[in-house]
Amino acid sequence: MAGLGTGRAVLFVVPALALIAAFLVFPALWTLYLGVLKYDLAGSNAAAPQFVGLGNYTDALTDPRFANSVLLTLAFVGLSAVLGQNGLGFLLAATLRRAVGWVRMLVNGLVLLSWILPGTVVVFLWQALLDRNGGTLNALLDTPGAAWTLDHPLATIVVFNIWRGTAFSMLLYSAALDAVPTSHLETARLYGSGPLRTFRDVVLPRIRGHILTNTLLITLWTFNDFTPYMLTGGGPEHRSETLPVYVYRMSIEGGQLGFGSAISLIMLVINLVIALFYLRLLRRRGG
Amino acid sequence: MSEPQRVDPGNRAVRRILGDAVVRHALSRIGLYVFAGVMLVFFALPLLWLVLTPFSRTPAYQITAPSFTLHNFRVLLDNPFALRSIGNSLILAGGTAVLAVVFAGTAAYALSRVRLPGRDALLYAILLLSSIVTGTAAMVPIFLMLFQLNMIDNRLALVLVLTGGLLPSAMFILKDFMDSVPKSYEESARVFGASPLQILRHVVAPVVRPGLATIAVWAIVQVWGNFLLPYILLHDQNKQPAAVIMYTFYDEGGTPNFALISTFSLLYSVPVVVAYLIVNRRYGFRFQGGIKG
Amino acid sequence: MATIELAALEKTYPGGVRAVDGLSLTIGDGEFFALLGPSGCGKTTLLRTIAGLEEATGGSLSIGEREVTRLAPGQRDVAMVFQDYALFPHMTVLDNIAYPLRIKRVARAARHEKARQTGDGLELAELMARRPAELSGGQQQRVALARAVVAHPSAFLFDEPLSNLDARLRLSARTFLKRLQRELGVTTIFVTHDQAEALAMADRIAVMEAGRIRQVGTPREVFGRPANTFVANFIGSTPMNLLPATVTDHRLLLAAGSLPAPSGLGARREVTVGIRPEYLDFSATAVPDALSGTVGIVEHLGTSSLVTLETDGGPIGVVVPEEAEPAAGSTGWAVPRPGRVLLYDNETGDLLPT
Ligand SMILES: Nc1ncnc2c1ncn2[C@@H]1O[C@H](COP(=O)(O)OP(=O)(O)OP(=O)(O)O)[C@@H](O)[C@H]1O
Ligand SMILES: [Mg+2]
Repeated sequence: MAGLGTGRAVLFVVPALALIAAFLVFPALWTLYLGVLKYDLAGSNAAAPQFVGLGNYTDALTDPRFANSVLLTLAFVGLSAVLGQNGLGFLLAATLRRAVGWVRMLVNGLVLLSWILPGTVVVFLWQALLDRNGGTLNALLDTPGAAWTLDHPLATIVVFNIWRGTAFSMLLYSAALDAVPTSHLETARLYGSGPLRTFRDVVLPRIRGHILTNTLLITLWTFNDFTPYMLTGGGPEHRSETLPVYVYRMSIEGGQLGFGSAISLIMLVINLVIALFYLRLLRRRGG
Repeated sequence: MSEPQRVDPGNRAVRRILGDAVVRHALSRIGLYVFAGVMLVFFALPLLWLVLTPFSRTPAYQITAPSFTLHNFRVLLDNPFALRSIGNSLILAGGTAVLAVVFAGTAAYALSRVRLPGRDALLYAILLLSSIVTGTAAMVPIFLMLFQLNMIDNRLALVLVLTGGLLPSAMFILKDFMDSVPKSYEESARVFGASPLQILRHVVAPVVRPGLATIAVWAIVQVWGNFLLPYILLHDQNKQPAAVIMYTFYDEGGTPNFALISTFSLLYSVPVVVAYLIVNRRYGFRFQGGIKG
Repeated sequence: MATIELAALEKTYPGGVRAVDGLSLTIGDGEFFALLGPSGCGKTTLLRTIAGLEEATGGSLSIGEREVTRLAPGQRDVAMVFQDYALFPHMTVLDNIAYPLRIKRVARAARHEKARQTGDGLELAELMARRPAELSGGQQQRVALARAVVAHPSAFLFDEPLSNLDARLRLSARTFLKRLQRELGVTTIFVTHDQAEALAMADRIAVMEAGRIRQVGTPREVFGRPANTFVANFIGSTPMNLLPATVTDHRLLLAAGSLPAPSGLGARREVTVGIRPEYLDFSATAVPDALSGTVGIVEHLGTSSLVTLETDGGPIGVVVPEEAEPAAGSTGWAVPRPGRVLLYDNETGDLLPT
């Protein structure tokens, strides 16, 4: 307190806390309230929202489109993040370190590029890649006319998200593997342990924490990712309509704000569960 | 690679093991480069379009053999919305970066210096909050709030929304930086008569500059690529940033204007790549869990 | 330029630790004043309270006639040198030295000029463009001094400024610092836990224990006549001999012999006799008014040696010239020099007037 003075300290903290309160705390609380209203952007329920209690929630839970969306989201997150980004990121981190300098730099650079480019741009790049007629993929595979986004919408967004997000896992696992002391690896090799054994006995115990951290973070991000909408628009026939897309289409496009809020709240709760896991982990490692 | 010199080559058992090791080694090298090659193709393939099409005489979905032209950039310059949207992106990203650095910086400084009961719990709580109240999960209330306040199409409002989302992580990261500044620096300046603001400007900010720069670049990259929030909060095409405006580069039939989109994509992508290279060169990749979110 | 006056100054930390416990003290204008004491006795706290970095919880403080107890640090017109020097890592040496002037809104050219002059005086001319990380410990210390000097304060506050230097450099830095202070004539308070440093440099020394001052005096007084057994123990590179004794009529009876007693003590009381090893002479033959024992360990101190006599009343240290070292195992006598025998009250530990 010395020097700064309590008054000034408060002054320093207030702008940040005010913005956080206005745009994080308040929306979260408001979602809670909006979720129990029948509240539309236009029409009779716009002027005078109607209290419907848990109506929105029961509507959601009985809506097959909601169930479909939950299942799609599970598949999307599980396949693209937990398995895809995680596995590919680890493989890249573990193998590229043994490749010669320029190969490593080149592959690393490309993986990173796919991560840092703006979402709108990469979405268009993928549209060009997958286009029915002139798409590069069809040209390469000699499958003219194959409509990947229409025939395999889920696979499309899964592969796209692996491509898009693997860089983070790769960087994290690289850092984690760098921290495994060479002396441990050498000791294992001295005793004649093969690569798989070495991995299990020496590497895995050291990076277990990183694996958990990485999985939780990419799960959280992928779960909230809106990019699938930009690629497939949720279609065709809701076949790539993950929860964020579902919320967007119901509330912003469809104007059902109350109903959208109810779904948002469900998303918030899922986020909370993932984040709590993650924070527990952070704190345990920090303390 | 160094074992062969270490063992006695006269020993037959050793020679056999060595032979096996060489074969295994060769196989694993081959496997490694096959994998690297596949990855190279997988990650490079979508990017080809971005580097080739802007210079193609016949821009389309199809990647064409190089037929160099700069004509497409003429199309880009002639489009009234393209350059303006880049400017809008700059305003949004710059404004958010400035606010995030200033507000997170002052708040982190105060929190680092003042002993408040429950301070760490507060920090964890807002960090938790920022990871759960994502743009996607909070789009309805945020949209509705600005809609009712008549602030749709208000860029300052959008900047504030974006800043609010970035502040918790920024504060969390900056507090670590602030904590690492020795107290004696500030006390020394204080004895010479420096005011708290002077201390912040002359001493603390320069010492934690790497942290501030990290936050600034991170904020710029986050906002630069953000689609959802500007998409739902800015409807006036004159105010929309690059991320959103690309969706207007189609003709009435829904065919993309390839000349425009390809060159625009390139122009729009270059700043983030440059920013990344700068940060990577100057500070290395500081691994901060949650920095991209 | 200014006297510093503490009146019942008190600092209690929020946790309840009373680090400065009602100190009253006047430090004269231009005086080089050392605060000496064991670790944790409150030296730093006292210095920081004087600087205003800690708020006094009681009493008052004035610097040069001006009551400053409630003033902010910047308004007290003092300069402080920290133990870690606190040089700003992002500024060059020149900018570091000029910083106090920047705060005082001196124009850039003028303050650089002034900083250069000050730096020249401290042999920093060649280093002006460097950053602190590119300097040796001794150079950093001089930059910190220059930064304090340039501010032209009415008092300097130094918190163990020499403790980060190696032993040899510390000796030259002592001389340097003392000369600088002489030339500038600025009132200086100097914190140290090294008694030799305090004795060598200070005009006066305050010896502290647990937030209180146990003795204030010149180095000679503090060394020669410690006011209590705490100070006696703390001051001196070889510890003072403290021996139990009984006063009888005109004699002090110790286990190792008897000494003439000063008059006016009254009869039959138990006291502690304090004699510095430096104030004892060694004799290999029996002499009257001496303490006797067997020569034990002999430690070489350079031009002299510390001889430990094992006596019936415990070990007694005697400093002997190097050519007069006795053989271990022989019998020896320690003869106090006249007027060097101090008596301390057994209850209070205070020096008894003699
Ligand atoms: N910020 C603080 N809060 C609470 N107690 C403190 C604080 N700073 C110091 N103390 C306590 O006050 C007492 C005096 O500490 P101080 O640092 O003044 O000692 P010192 O004489 O400078 O010791 P040293 O020679 O080790 O530097 C100690 O008991 C210490 O534990
Ligand atoms: Mg101290």
